[in-house]
Amino acid sequence: MPKTVILGVIGSDAHVVGITILEQALQAAGFDVVNLGVQSSQAEFVEAARREDASAVLVSSLYGHAEQDCQGFHEKIAEADLDVLTYIGGNLAVGQDDFEQTRRRFRELGFDRVFDSETDPEEAIAALRRDLQIAPTEPETVPVRG
Amino acid sequence: MLRDELIPSDELRRIDESVRTNWPTGSAIEFEEAIEFHESLPPESAFATVLESADRPLLQPRAGVPLLEDQIELLQHLHASGGADLLPTTIDSYTRDNEYEKAAEGLAEARETGEATLNGFPAVNHGVEGCRELIRAIDAPVEVRHGTPDARLLAAITFAGGFQSFEGGPISYNIPYTKEHDLAETIEHWQFVDRLAGAYTERGVRINREPFGPLTGTLVPPAIAIAVMLLEGQLAATQGVRSLTLGYGQVGNLVQDVAALRSLRSLGEEYLPDEVTVTTVFHEWMGGFPPDEARANGVIGLGGATAAIARPDKVITKSPQEFQGVPTKEANAAGLRTTRQLIDMMIEQDVRLDGVERERELIEAATRDLIEAVEAAGDGDVAQGTITAFESGALDVPFAPSDSAQGAVLPARDDDGRVRIFEFGDLAVSDEIKEIHRNRLDARAETEGRDQSFRMVADDVDAISDGRLIGRPTEGD
Repeated sequence: MPKTVILGVIGSDAHVVGITILEQALQAAGFDVVNLGVQSSQAEFVEAARREDASAVLVSSLYGHAEQDCQGFHEKIAEADLDVLTYIGGNLAVGQDDFEQTRRRFRELGFDRVFDSETDPEEAIAALRRDLQIAPTEPETVPVRG
Repeated sequence: MLRDELIPSDELRRIDESVRTNWPTGSAIEFEEAIEFHESLPPESAFATVLESADRPLLQPRAGVPLLEDQIELLQHLHASGGADLLPTTIDSYTRDNEYEKAAEGLAEARETGEATLNGFPAVNHGVEGCRELIRAIDAPVEVRHGTPDARLLAAITFAGGFQSFEGGPISYNIPYTKEHDLAETIEHWQFVDRLAGAYTERGVRINREPFGPLTGTLVPPAIAIAVMLLEGQLAATQGVRSLTLGYGQVGNLVQDVAALRSLRSLGEEYLPDEVTVTTVFHEWMGGFPPDEARANGVIGLGGATAAIARPDKVITKSPQEFQGVPTKEANAAGLRTTRQLIDMMIEQDVRLDGVERERELIEAATRDLIEAVEAAGDGDVAQGTITAFESGALDVPFAPSDSAQGAVLPARDDDGRVRIFEFGDLAVSDEIKEIHRNRLDARAETEGRDQSFRMVADDVDAISDGRLIGRPTEGD
């Protein structure tokens, strides 16, 4: 069975190009994609993950306020008792921070993987396949995670 | 039900009063007194007249800072050192969201700390008198530029404050900018803005209106941009707007850009009523810029060269610091001068480009299909038709974040770098046009030895900032 992935841009951010491309790429790679679109709240991500029984939540942010927007996000996921992977990608800090530092900060917030804005969709898909133990050619024969 | 019909005067007064009580500065608006203020301005402040009588493309930058005295200084600099013919006042994001309280806090903080705590000029908070001080200090026409879905109070204050040009429209400031604003409601709000502009126009103060042509700024196929311009133009004309500047954003292929600008003008003249004076504005590249000022100047230069050949009435310039966000005033002025240099060197040359006429035919046929679909969807009513067509995807904008649009259309460049449509969704264009787009994209796929796919779209989005036009596969892909 194909895995379901929730996709969206968090906060008041309206940058839609990245997730549009990612949506296409994930679909082409055989995932079921629920794209929440731009300006999505933490609650919308959590509710969608619960409703869709999702395997992963992919959060996008490009306007520099990701850290504020993601405060308390993983606590909400824990409260809802969800077992999902969480990735975040984009321009995650205002200004020219060192990305390793940014990555650490978002790892501490609870994200399983952190990507910069130069990441190709293929890289995120490869990571998803590794983390969900999906063989690229035979997605339907994959053992269920957890 | 919402219709494309003139708002009656008593209804205009009723809405006007309710809008003015939204925020304390609204109470300072007095229509008769505002007309007198406009009449007291020198002829060089008359936006519509200056633009419509120009004999070469006029240049206008983008610029907005929180404090009044800083905004005056910034505009004076762009006028004197950049040679800007027309000046802007870009409004901050809080005001665009109608969050005047937050804008007030940002403004107070800016006054205290001297930091730019807002990303633009909060005109509602500055009020009618603040706007007038700005207008009086600048001896050139000034336009309000923003991105506000509900711009009723902003329009009421800035018109009374002496601004004679106002950017935006119900589609172009909704579909590319927000997720949840309802399109029908946004059209209703803009009918008021246009009706107010019409009321000033009737009294001899011609307020110029400028629908925002670049839309999402990311590989927008010309026919889609032009169709939206024609629809917003029609909605504005119904409310009494008589000076309309239709916009288009550079895609970077010279032939396609020249063809699109010529189509925009001729279709604008054809579709809009005779009493409307149609002008055009060309936006220099709105997508991602190279992270290098020298290369960014190349992008700007191509914009200037395109403008010299296509001759729009106005060019909105970019700065070489585009990659980093808001530019310094010096960089902003530099973008103006680079553009001017290209235009002035090229404008007297007789440059003939192969293929412009063929490209125009393609653009115009697709635009006519879209407009016909909207008219059919609304049973002849443009307002209803616009809502229904966006709902069904018959009219659509690539990368549109709005829930009111399908956002199913995906563009990609062809082998010559022209923007074609890779995924049509339910876009209402003929099979013949779809076939042409498909063939052009096939030719590119063949050159690159790969199938047509979203990968091309992704590569094209990054191509100009990576130093190319077409997102060709690179080694290692």
